[in-house]
Amino acid sequence: MGWRLTLRPYFLIVPALLLTCGILYPFGLGLYYTLFDFSASKPQPDMVRLHNYETVFTQDAFWNSAWVTVLYAVGAAAVETVLGVAVALLLHRSSLVGRVLEKILILPLMIAPVIAAIIWKLMLQPSVGVVNHLLKPFGLGGVQWTDTPTGALLSSIAVDVWVYTPFVAILALAGLRSLPTSPFEAAAVDGAGWWYTFRRLTLPMLWPYVLVAVIFRFMDSLKVFDIIYALTEGGPGDSTVVLQIRAYLEAIRFQRYSFGISYTIVLWAVVYLAAMVLVRHLGRIQRKAAEAK
Amino acid sequence: MIGLRGIHKTYGKVTALDGLELDVREGEFFCLLGPSGAGKTTTLKTVAGLERPDSGTVLLDGKDMAGVEPYDRGVAMCFESYALYPHRSAYDNLASPLRSPRHRLPAAEARERIGAIAELLGISGLLDRRVGQLSNGQRQRIALGRVLVRPARAFLLDEPLSHLDAKLRQQMRAELKAIGAVQHTTTLYVTHDSVEALALGDRIGVIRDGRIVQTGTREEIWYRPCDTEVARAFGRPRINLLPGVVTEDGGFRTADGKVELPLAAKAQPGTDVLVGVRPRDIVLGGAAGHELTGTVYVTEVLGRGVEVTVRLGGQQVSLVAPRGDTTGLGPDDPVRLTVRPENLLLFEADRPGRPGRLIGTR
Amino acid sequence: MTLRKRLLSGLADLALILYFVFALFPIAWMVILSLKPANQLFSTYFSFTPTLSSYRTVLGDSEGIPFVRFFVNSLVVSVGAVLLSLVVGLPAAYASARWRFKGSENLMFTLLSFRFAPELTVIIPLFVLYQKLGLFDTYVGMIWVLQLVTLPLIVWIMRSYFADLTPELEQAALLDGYTRKQAFFKVALPLVRPGIAAVSLLAFIFAWNNFVFPLILTSSEAQTVTVGALSFLGGDRPKYNLTAAAALISVVPPLLLALTIQRYLVRGLSFGAVKS
Repeated sequence: MGWRLTLRPYFLIVPALLLTCGILYPFGLGLYYTLFDFSASKPQPDMVRLHNYETVFTQDAFWNSAWVTVLYAVGAAAVETVLGVAVALLLHRSSLVGRVLEKILILPLMIAPVIAAIIWKLMLQPSVGVVNHLLKPFGLGGVQWTDTPTGALLSSIAVDVWVYTPFVAILALAGLRSLPTSPFEAAAVDGAGWWYTFRRLTLPMLWPYVLVAVIFRFMDSLKVFDIIYALTEGGPGDSTVVLQIRAYLEAIRFQRYSFGISYTIVLWAVVYLAAMVLVRHLGRIQRKAAEAK
Repeated sequence: MIGLRGIHKTYGKVTALDGLELDVREGEFFCLLGPSGAGKTTTLKTVAGLERPDSGTVLLDGKDMAGVEPYDRGVAMCFESYALYPHRSAYDNLASPLRSPRHRLPAAEARERIGAIAELLGISGLLDRRVGQLSNGQRQRIALGRVLVRPARAFLLDEPLSHLDAKLRQQMRAELKAIGAVQHTTTLYVTHDSVEALALGDRIGVIRDGRIVQTGTREEIWYRPCDTEVARAFGRPRINLLPGVVTEDGGFRTADGKVELPLAAKAQPGTDVLVGVRPRDIVLGGAAGHELTGTVYVTEVLGRGVEVTVRLGGQQVSLVAPRGDTTGLGPDDPVRLTVRPENLLLFEADRPGRPGRLIGTR
Repeated sequence: MTLRKRLLSGLADLALILYFVFALFPIAWMVILSLKPANQLFSTYFSFTPTLSSYRTVLGDSEGIPFVRFFVNSLVVSVGAVLLSLVVGLPAAYASARWRFKGSENLMFTLLSFRFAPELTVIIPLFVLYQKLGLFDTYVGMIWVLQLVTLPLIVWIMRSYFADLTPELEQAALLDGYTRKQAFFKVALPLVRPGIAAVSLLAFIFAWNNFVFPLILTSSEAQTVTVGALSFLGGDRPKYNLTAAAALISVVPPLLLALTIQRYLVRGLSFGAVKS
């Protein structure tokens, strides 16, 4: 009985471990490839050690991509957080309108991001798209949405916001519904105003929930691919070439495998570091919230 | 019957059981009393074979249980969470032990058994309902029924009454003791409620930090608690514990000298001690015993009796007096109290993390 | 006072409606585009003679794009990926919920890191590897790589469901005379069935919606709807009506499933970090 009791859990995770190794293997292989100059034109590669990374870090293209990626991630996560929390607060009032609309809140989130980008691409088309048509009465027709560098970045962020605001809203709403009611009753008895209640009670207690959403959104948008691929393909020029798009272009379009993977490894390191910092912060916040209860 | 010898169990860095020794005799109702986190549930699960001790021996009927599967130990257990299957009917829950591959009772026989148990516990009308629809009290009965439905050489009950409201708990306490099977079968009963332990236990074991600190009948535990913490655990209002020192002539005196008592127990003069006396052992007025004088601080009606808190210099003691004796008594009224010397308990002073131990009387 | 309150509440509703117009208009617009006849595509916006011809074209493979096949591919690949993840993931989730040990903690952490890993880190090497192994543009290859999406989700969320069950349920079964295996199948598994259903559907949706994997690791045989829908935009003259029809067809399964698992979404989306 003794050895069976201690071994059983290991048996149970063996299949999952094997499958995980099946995913870790290409990852390790990729890491290994980055030490070579492997490409379609050079199927018998030579070891170049860290030369690929050296090239990455000395390329202007990398720094441009990194900058675009950060702009995109910060912009998207920030707008989604503010908008998502606002929507959650409005839905939390449970007005008749809110109860009806809440049922369809998730729709954009369940649409494949690439499809969402296709939809918006059709709508944002400068000459025949419906958005410019609707803006015409306001004297704003003919906006070159995805054809200017700033416009392309903002449009991509807008699509991200369209898809993922429900994500933040759903988590924030779940948080709002799980808050204890007694502090709010006490505040109401004390005659506290809406703003004071929001700043001093709602926001601090809701923050752990919102933070979970922010962490997910920020880290996911660091590795955005689908939306930009379908909406702008990185253009115009290099204006929306985020890191995963750059890696795609290098590895698949130009078939410089080793070099392309080096990009993703750098991105992976950035995401990993961001995750470490954010998750530690989240842990602190949650512990504080738990102590406050 | 049930014997635990030197049981150690740790979960990561937390020590649950720290060399636990326990003996439950054949046919007795043994209460294991302790605060939450003391290791009560771990003790039960160790007996049942659901937890494996890091070291030590579990004996059932004198046989070492190492390597014996839970079912083969022949014990039945009632879990604190009740562990009922919420997706099944009450009947199916009761039938679960009878239908198991190890037991496999014919359906007709099982129905008869379950019927009898349901009758006994007054749950015949609930058998078709899903557990999810039952109240806490009803669930508790089903859980108890599942324990009683199959023959067992010992019952292990883990706080079976703790989720019930006060009134229901009192009623169930009486019923539990009256059930024939429980009367005849060795029962190890875990609780954090000292009233329950005193009411139910033939013997009581007090567990603290994974060790048994005292075992005895209710009288032994009540009259000779091994230390101040056990003394405080039993009886409401709590026992009075007056801090002071042992004088040159072997008596007791508080720091301000307002309370002086003779002591029957021997102690080194100058030792810091606590004198314990239970509220019901202090008599208002009274003739026999040692006299104390003080002033009333506050009175509080407790049903038939009245709890009177009396100031003795810098100290306060509480006592319970019959209602008639306290009429007209108000704050700051002077009162005279008497205590019989045999009701005084002498303890070493408490130290941080170590409650003061009893110093023998006489 | 009450007037002011009603005014404020009206304003709040208005703000909500504004957001939902923003959220729903694109979907409505797709419906409109997909119903437009080709000759009215750019000449009008909201008034047109509705026709189902776009759907007929898309489902009739007449543009040289085998969309029905892509749809079937999406179905096979997503269902396959979810089933494999369930078979492999449920025991692991149960083990790591019941026994905290080093192996399971490491596994859980690795799986979580998959959730946040840039997909291309794995796909580019697989692109090379699959061509060598003959897995390029096959169901098996797609199901394998989709584990990156479905396995972490299923294991993490099912662990949180198993952890919510008190182990005393299975312990009671052990004392009743059942084996550990029977305790798992007869007690634990039925109790988490709603969770399994919800997480399977969610994993299916994510697998279905995936785009990078089929984009790089398939070309025609195993290509899925997400890549297929995009190909209507290619060519010299983008066919807006066909693109819209293809996009709509490909979002129907995930949208329908999503509406059935609303209640369980919070836990699923947050990887078990938030329960509702």
